[in-house]
Amino acid sequence: MIRYLIRRFLWAIVLFFAVTIVSYVLFFIIPANPAKTACGQTCGATEVLRVKHFLGLDRPIYVQYGKFVGRLLPFNVWDWPPHFKTPNLGSSFYNRQPVNKLVLDAAPVTASLVLGGAFFWMLLAVPIGVLSALRPRSLLDRMSMTFVLIGISAHPVWIGLIFAYFFGYKWHITPITLYADFIHPPPGEPGGPIQWAYHLILPWATFAILFAALYVRMIRANVLETLNEDYVRTARAKGAPESRVLRSHVLRNAMLPVVTMLGMDIGLALGGAVFTESVYSLPGLGRISVQALFNFDTPTVQGVIVFATVAIIVFNLFVDLLYALIDPRIRLA
Amino acid sequence: MPLLEVTDLKTYFRTDDGLVKAVDGVSFSVEKGQTLGIVGESGSGKSVTCLSIMGLNAKRNTITSGSAMWKGKNLLTMGSKELRTIRGDEIAMIFQDPMTSLNPVHKIGAQLSEAVVLHRDVTKAQARARALEVLKAVGIPRPERRIDDYPHQFSGGMRQRVMIAMALVNNPDLLIADEPTTALDVTTQAQILRLMNRLQEEFGSAIIMITHDLGVVAETADDVVVMYAAEAVEKAPVERLFKRPQMPYTWGLLGSLPRLDINVDRLVQIPGSPPSLLNPPGGCRFHPRCPYVMSVCKNENPPLAPVDGEPEHLDACHLDQETKDREATKLLASMQAGAA
Amino acid sequence: MATTTEAPAASRKSFGAELLAVEDLKKHFPVTRGIIFQKQIAAVKAVDGVSFTVREGETLGVVGESGCGKSTMARCIMRLLDPTSGRLVFRGRDITNLSRAEMRPIRREMMMIFQDPYASLNARKRVGFIVAEALEVHRLGTDAEVKRRVQELLEVVGLNPEHYNRFPHEFSGGQRQRIGVARALAVNPKLIVCDEPVSALDVSVQAQILNLLKDLQEDFGLTYIFIAHDLNVVRHISDRVMVMYLGHAVELAERDDLYNGPKHPYTGALLSAVPIPDPTVGRAREAVVLEGDVPNPINPPSACWFHPRCPRFREGHCDVDTPELRPFGHGHVAACHYPLEHWPMTDEELRRPASASAV
Repeated sequence: MIRYLIRRFLWAIVLFFAVTIVSYVLFFIIPANPAKTACGQTCGATEVLRVKHFLGLDRPIYVQYGKFVGRLLPFNVWDWPPHFKTPNLGSSFYNRQPVNKLVLDAAPVTASLVLGGAFFWMLLAVPIGVLSALRPRSLLDRMSMTFVLIGISAHPVWIGLIFAYFFGYKWHITPITLYADFIHPPPGEPGGPIQWAYHLILPWATFAILFAALYVRMIRANVLETLNEDYVRTARAKGAPESRVLRSHVLRNAMLPVVTMLGMDIGLALGGAVFTESVYSLPGLGRISVQALFNFDTPTVQGVIVFATVAIIVFNLFVDLLYALIDPRIRLA
Repeated sequence: MPLLEVTDLKTYFRTDDGLVKAVDGVSFSVEKGQTLGIVGESGSGKSVTCLSIMGLNAKRNTITSGSAMWKGKNLLTMGSKELRTIRGDEIAMIFQDPMTSLNPVHKIGAQLSEAVVLHRDVTKAQARARALEVLKAVGIPRPERRIDDYPHQFSGGMRQRVMIAMALVNNPDLLIADEPTTALDVTTQAQILRLMNRLQEEFGSAIIMITHDLGVVAETADDVVVMYAAEAVEKAPVERLFKRPQMPYTWGLLGSLPRLDINVDRLVQIPGSPPSLLNPPGGCRFHPRCPYVMSVCKNENPPLAPVDGEPEHLDACHLDQETKDREATKLLASMQAGAA
Repeated sequence: MATTTEAPAASRKSFGAELLAVEDLKKHFPVTRGIIFQKQIAAVKAVDGVSFTVREGETLGVVGESGCGKSTMARCIMRLLDPTSGRLVFRGRDITNLSRAEMRPIRREMMMIFQDPYASLNARKRVGFIVAEALEVHRLGTDAEVKRRVQELLEVVGLNPEHYNRFPHEFSGGQRQRIGVARALAVNPKLIVCDEPVSALDVSVQAQILNLLKDLQEDFGLTYIFIAHDLNVVRHISDRVMVMYLGHAVELAERDDLYNGPKHPYTGALLSAVPIPDPTVGRAREAVVLEGDVPNPINPPSACWFHPRCPRFREGHCDVDTPELRPFGHGHVAACHYPLEHWPMTDEELRRPASASAV
């Protein structure tokens, strides 16, 4: 297991460099001039050059990348003994704010949205998926399959707008936009757990629908498959009542692949739930990365990419560990 | 009174293509402490017969009729709660594939104890002690250590021993073994068959041995039912069946089997393949493949009836007794010639 | 049954020239480990030094339990796997290290029939195409000729030639195996390697295929290497039989010699483990029941591979000295220090070898 973790960790580092290099090169290829965007429409040619020099954009790409990596390492490479420091993502080209702060401010918003959403989609998907697998072709099954079809085909922006229109604008049940901080709201704005949850109800619902649909389908298929396993028949032949068969012999086995998917999906979604954040004007990672893209703000985009990569890697590792915990066949391999 | 008496059992499955008559009017009985062999090719309905008795077919698409009398009660009409108290306690079952019949995420000790706890009012420790006892009885080396292992840590033969242990844990009166050695190698098969024999003597359970292998039947069974296309076509004590087979399908089976102890240049071959149960042939179901087919065979399905003077030996065939005896003698003689 | 080990000389068939010689064939699969650089820490010795020859027109049966290396050996002979070491000589030509292009003309002469008639046929292709594929690969004939040939082949294997345009799923298991046979026959091969060709089939259908294979051998002068786990089937079809255990050939003899007078205790155990479909014969004999399971081929037992399970095991000999294949006359060889003196044996006799054979 330790060997396995070490190997996974080494792979994660390789993956990390691959992702950041590719995104750096992509930015370099795009025919855009971040210096001009950062400087503003009124800048003259000499001023743009000065800004370019100031931002380090006049250096070759490998130097830029090297500096980026150097800032990111938790110690200085050229000092001996190593002198530890906080990894630094640099500053935004656009508004000179430290990217660390931008990402750290946005991350809790996205995390609230994604983790809360995940909670809701599992809350929805597990019972519906299991029940429709137990009664295939029943009314419930047909209804849930219709829901799945709608959930998968409907675009989150559309769902978001519909929800915002009815629940927020028409019926005044929920707020339409904005985020309420869980702990430290800015002065004069709503905050605290209740406001936090209240403001996130619609985003959660919107975000959860697509995934809930996908997960209902997956859970239903897994449970159906597991119900046909020989060991389920063995359990019944032992005289176990259906509830016990389901609990002890079907669910645990059927949920194994679901756990993997869940970890990967949460990791992916942390990189930015762009559409949902845009619809509800949530200041999350998705929104800042979209803004940064429009401004050719490489450091901010890279910051989000770094964060997303780390999130995906961490969640995958977590899932592997969890999987090993529930499946003995993996544990010993 | 027989332990289990099955009368006119019919199991039909509703499918998208139509009604599949997987078992179509099968009757047999099992005596206390005896072994009944049910032999047939794939799709002959031998496994479905036993799953029906145990109530293990998927309920939604299955229509079952007839009766299976167990200690004065009909298993087929019994409520599912009452059936559960019998399943795994009085009647236990082992399956063909030991690799997939154990749950991979539970320790084998837990899977064995589960069977005890479901039927006995015992503590966890007592159930575990009982599990250990049966593991020892089925010849698992160092059972006190292996009890906390997971199924994937056992070989195929060992897993089948665990399955047998699980079936015997509550001292069942009847053990239904569905192709218990088919997935195993020949030397492992010999171990398992010997084990089942020994345990039958020890525990006194009756056994229904479902198999496609006439050799396994010959070595283990007291009585044999031959099934073809969802029907029982011949039924006899094992010695009788192999010495005086009465039905052309049984002759075909015996003749088509290459044997270790007999030299034959050419195997008897039954032409064609078993019929679809969606749309079985009219009359005798074997008639399209039967070399002795007569016009009556195409219209009338012969009932399973006793052979003259042999109430124990039943067969379903329109041929006259003289022809049957002559052909059976001929077949046996040709085999004897090969053995010499 | 007689206890003599030699069949009368008159019953021995003679065969043509040597078609295939396999010399000390080995196939080891590496087991690797390592974080970044994978290094080999062990090898699964799937086939570990097997030698035999096959003559034209004969059938060599290969029996053994799962994991004994018989299928791997077949794939090595077909060059579907590259042998780790050893030599393959086909019709006098060393084919061990031939390149793909050099192998192509030889592939026409060696075909294979597989176990699973469901998995080994491409479900999306019509039967005519499946059978014709080998013809087309080797560019034999025009379209019309190919079609005629395919229909002829379907007829030869007992299928309706009109079913040329059907898909595999429209056929039963036995018929699919017939298609597999037709495909193998298409290019007029010399040698057909059959890997468990009947083990997925029901008895009645199995007999049809076995009869078909025998008929085809007579009609076309085919040579078979017939691999199976079923000793009954192997006995029925083979002229000579090789018994494999843990990647080694432990015994090789003419069919009747092997079945009537096995020399290796493992062969004896296999023979007595097979249930006989005759209650009087079957229940009367005394079975040699082996203890335990086949060992892990990553870590096989020392010296004699069979010694941990052998009823004749003698400490200090069998676990120290690796037995060589020793001759017993008429090409009968077995690798055992304490070969069986006669057959059948009682359990008592089996456990008490006469003495260490004087060699």
